[in-house]
Amino acid sequence: MARILLVEDNEMNRDMLSRRLQRKGYTVLIAHDGEQGLAKACSEIPDLILMDISLPFIDGYEVTRRLKANPRTRHIPVIALTAHALLTDRDKALKAGCNDYDTKPVDFGRLTEKIENLLVNEKTL
Amino acid sequence: MKFQDLSIKRKLILMTMLTSSIALLLSSASFLIYDLISFRNLLTHDLTTQAQIIGYNSAAAMAFKDEPAATATLSALTAKGDIVSAALYSPNGQMFAHYFRGGKTLPDTLPTCSAQKPYRFEGQYLEVCHDVALNGDRVGTLFLQSDMRQWSMRARRYATICLVFALVSVFFAFLVSSKLQKVISGPIMHLEDTMKMVSANKNYEVRAVKSYSDEIGSLIDGFNAMLSDIQQRDGALRGANDELQMRTLELEEEVSQRKQAQEELLNAKHVAEEASRAKSIFLANMSHELRTPLNAIIGYSEMLEEEARDSEDADHIRDLQKIQFAGKHLLSLINDVLDLSKIEAGKMPLHLETFDVRLMTAEIITTLQPAIEKNQNNLRVRMADEVSSMRADVTKVRQILFNLLSNACKFTDHGTISLDIERKLENDQDWIRFQVSDTGIGIAPKQRDNLFKEFAQADTSIARKYGGTGLGLAISYKFVQLMKGRIGVESELGRGATFTIELPVQVRTEADPVRPEGSTSDSLAPTSSPANTGQDTILVIDDDAAVRDLMSRFLSKLDFNVVAARSAEEGLRLASQLRPLIITLDVVMPGRDGWWVLNQLKADPALSQIPVVMVTIVDNEAMGISLGAANYLIKPVQRERLADLVQKYRVMRSTEPKTIKIPVSISHSRKGQEQTEAHNPRRR
Repeated sequence: MARILLVEDNEMNRDMLSRRLQRKGYTVLIAHDGEQGLAKACSEIPDLILMDISLPFIDGYEVTRRLKANPRTRHIPVIALTAHALLTDRDKALKAGCNDYDTKPVDFGRLTEKIENLLVNEKTL
Repeated sequence: MKFQDLSIKRKLILMTMLTSSIALLLSSASFLIYDLISFRNLLTHDLTTQAQIIGYNSAAAMAFKDEPAATATLSALTAKGDIVSAALYSPNGQMFAHYFRGGKTLPDTLPTCSAQKPYRFEGQYLEVCHDVALNGDRVGTLFLQSDMRQWSMRARRYATICLVFALVSVFFAFLVSSKLQKVISGPIMHLEDTMKMVSANKNYEVRAVKSYSDEIGSLIDGFNAMLSDIQQRDGALRGANDELQMRTLELEEEVSQRKQAQEELLNAKHVAEEASRAKSIFLANMSHELRTPLNAIIGYSEMLEEEARDSEDADHIRDLQKIQFAGKHLLSLINDVLDLSKIEAGKMPLHLETFDVRLMTAEIITTLQPAIEKNQNNLRVRMADEVSSMRADVTKVRQILFNLLSNACKFTDHGTISLDIERKLENDQDWIRFQVSDTGIGIAPKQRDNLFKEFAQADTSIARKYGGTGLGLAISYKFVQLMKGRIGVESELGRGATFTIELPVQVRTEADPVRPEGSTSDSLAPTSSPANTGQDTILVIDDDAAVRDLMSRFLSKLDFNVVAARSAEEGLRLASQLRPLIITLDVVMPGRDGWWVLNQLKADPALSQIPVVMVTIVDNEAMGISLGAANYLIKPVQRERLADLVQKYRVMRSTEPKTIKIPVSISHSRKGQEQTEAHNPRRR
């Protein structure tokens, strides 16, 4: 089953999302901040990354940019998660290299659909 | 100085003196001439008489040739001082006797004498010839010569007297005229002085004094009348001037007051705007802060529900669903507040795209199905044939219609809700009109005014009974405004309400200017194409062979006929040859770039209606949309998104414009997703 790296600093969100994803059968890897997220992405090479944008120290945009700059991790699809519901956030996320974008509070059904889409589309156009 | 320029006083004196002098001169001269002539006559007569006496006395001597006697007679003339010479001539003309005073002589022969006129004036002398007769016989001629000294002296004396008299008279005339001229010149000079005073001091109270009732008197009267007239006008003018000055002062004061008021207003406006902005920011932040705990509430309850479902704990499922429902409701309220604050902060952009109204309507109805069924309402949709696609912010149009329709559902029980969509031409602009009618509780007239204001639900009791924030209509109103449309309502309490929205078929923003000819609203819907070759053809314009290959394979799987072009020129050529259904266009290409192709396509009326989907790494959606691109995808492109887009255009092409009948019962397979979409309309 697919392995998903969840980069999220909020404990409650992390706990909830990871448990729900696990219930769906995904293997969930956890990172508390951007630094850890980068390290785990490089060492574990997950199938997909769920990236919270408002992370302490290095924000989600920057982490995504670095992941997309690294040949080892470039191919991993990234879904940005943000509490900001502004369209500019969506643009910023996509510009940073995120493959998709969703707002918090996450609609779990919708999020899993997005995850599935990205996992199925192993290669983007 | 000319006479005419002299003062009246001098003129009068001169005239008087001249007149009197001429009169005096003429009278003196005539008198003098008369006197001199009379005196000369007298002299002549006197000399003639003398000649007769002497002739008589010397006649005997002449007759007897007694020369001594004759000479003695002549000598008696010594007593007459003016007779200078006398001679007696014999009848043959020879001088007979003579008398000379001083060295004066006479010719020996008798000077010629006229018989008719015995005297004559010769030079300075008066000469008389007198025939001397004795008993009637002429015995000789007497010749007397008298000088005119006496006459000359008299003439001189008279002239002197005349001159003296004339001078004296002139002097007196001067005195008299000097006095008399004042009668005329005095009032005139007084008038002049008065005039000078008036003009120098601008004192119109002065009046000229009238001395006599002659012409000058009436002149003075006229002058005074004129002065009082001027004085009156001056007074009136001064009054008006004063009033004007006062008014000016008042006005200035008013202007400064207004300026101050304006400044105060401007300040107040700034303060109000600042406060409003602060409120919007606060609301945005609050909404953000509220979402985080909501996230946990919804998430955990969903998770628990799933677990409860697994353990088949039905009681908990219902309770957890209630928590979820409440949480999602709260979320939708927060979203509304956030929307409004964004609109008010001016941070609500329009994302314009061309979309099929039919498809959008169908989506909304699917989403609304549970709400329609809840109060056992009927939904009737009528769509006019000419309604096809429009260019607007689809998310916002959807949200507006969703708000109106869900309101209609909420406030109607066992009734009918109608959605009518039609197109109309007004003021040379194409409009699309959505009309949502219900047979529900309706709106009272006084509540209608506040209907589109934030936080103003028609009745506070309504909030308790029906729920909602009252923000839906306010948001709809603002969205309609953003898209330069109109929204209105008609209602009768207890008999339902009708909301009407009118939006331009082509919504435009500053970044989306008027597009070239040929892409007017009429040609928006690609319902008919001159060539059928491109019915299901997609033209892919990209210089990257890998991209062309991937796109061809992917789109072929979706049953499209894919033609690829390697350059801008080739792409344009193929586009006009094939008239494809859709064109996907890369921006960065060697030679001419994608922007150029887009420009050319949109400038060609035959091609401008083909939707162009930009597929590029260049992140400049605004540019693409402003040049007329239908959509903008940034590489790497999601397959799903591209598939959705191309399918959408295929449907748009194939759907015949007709009234669609959407059955009330629509499959609920995607219900959850659509419901969320309606709650979370920002999802793109």
